[in-house]
Amino acid sequence: MTKPLELHPRLHGVDHTARPTWKLRETVHFYRDILGLPLVHCISAKGWGREKENHADFLHFFFDSGNESTIAFFYYIGTQQPPELVVPKGYMAMANHTAWRVESEVELLEWQRRLESHGVNVSQFIQHEIIESIYFRDPNWYPLEITRSLREVEEPDMVDAGATIDAAMELEDSGRWTNIEQLWRSKVKFVQASQANEQAPA
Amino acid sequence: MSGFYVLAVPEFSALIDAAMKSGGCTVHRKRGHYQFVEFENEIEILRCDTRMNEAVWFGCLTGGLDGKIAHFDRDRLKLVATNEPILGVGAR
Repeated sequence: MTKPLELHPRLHGVDHTARPTWKLRETVHFYRDILGLPLVHCISAKGWGREKENHADFLHFFFDSGNESTIAFFYYIGTQQPPELVVPKGYMAMANHTAWRVESEVELLEWQRRLESHGVNVSQFIQHEIIESIYFRDPNWYPLEITRSLREVEEPDMVDAGATIDAAMELEDSGRWTNIEQLWRSKVKFVQASQANEQAPA
Repeated sequence: MSGFYVLAVPEFSALIDAAMKSGGCTVHRKRGHYQFVEFENEIEILRCDTRMNEAVWFGCLTGGLDGKIAHFDRDRLKLVATNEPILGVGAR
């Protein structure tokens, strides 16, 4: 059962996200020198003491990505990259990405120019409803995004997101969901319910 | 009653203008956070009338559709009335 909101533990933004790398020098060069993110912390350790797992000795290092967040890497000494951890080609693997926030169009343009000046292949500006972004890859082929908000998220967005996801979960449960047209049609009853809810007397 | 719902946010407002320009539709007043654009048998909307980029255009029916997509590419959207079940035989 869902607790009242005030009793929920709260999160306060991203501390760090982490991923493995087998390209130490290239990764440090990219994040520290090209992106200019300060290297702020590095753990070097003999496994985690997890000998039964044959855990490799490793580095765990962190770059400051602003607003008290870091992007972190593990480097497992003397290991080879397992095939299943190679970033696959194609759009599906791009879903697993990191998006950093900037505060203006000027800042976004500055990042685009900086990346291009270092020979990084970077996309044009792309607007996705409430954000505008540029996209690029790091030396590990991890997808990265820098984005700016085009407007605040407001109540209509949250109501609409709920209607979309409720309709989508119902379609998923059907086991016969194959296209977005089915979702848009299924969503109507949830939209109408939200309208009735909005118009109901308090 | 065939039509589509448009969420009352800036990105999608031009869809209503484009629908009105295409004619043959009735734009209902806002209820909740949506406006309903009603059409009788079919409606055709051109992306050039919406000023939408492709990323927004291809999500422009996200408010909900009471009808069927007869054509949807980067330039043109055509909707028609339908009685087909949502998860019917014709599902792509």
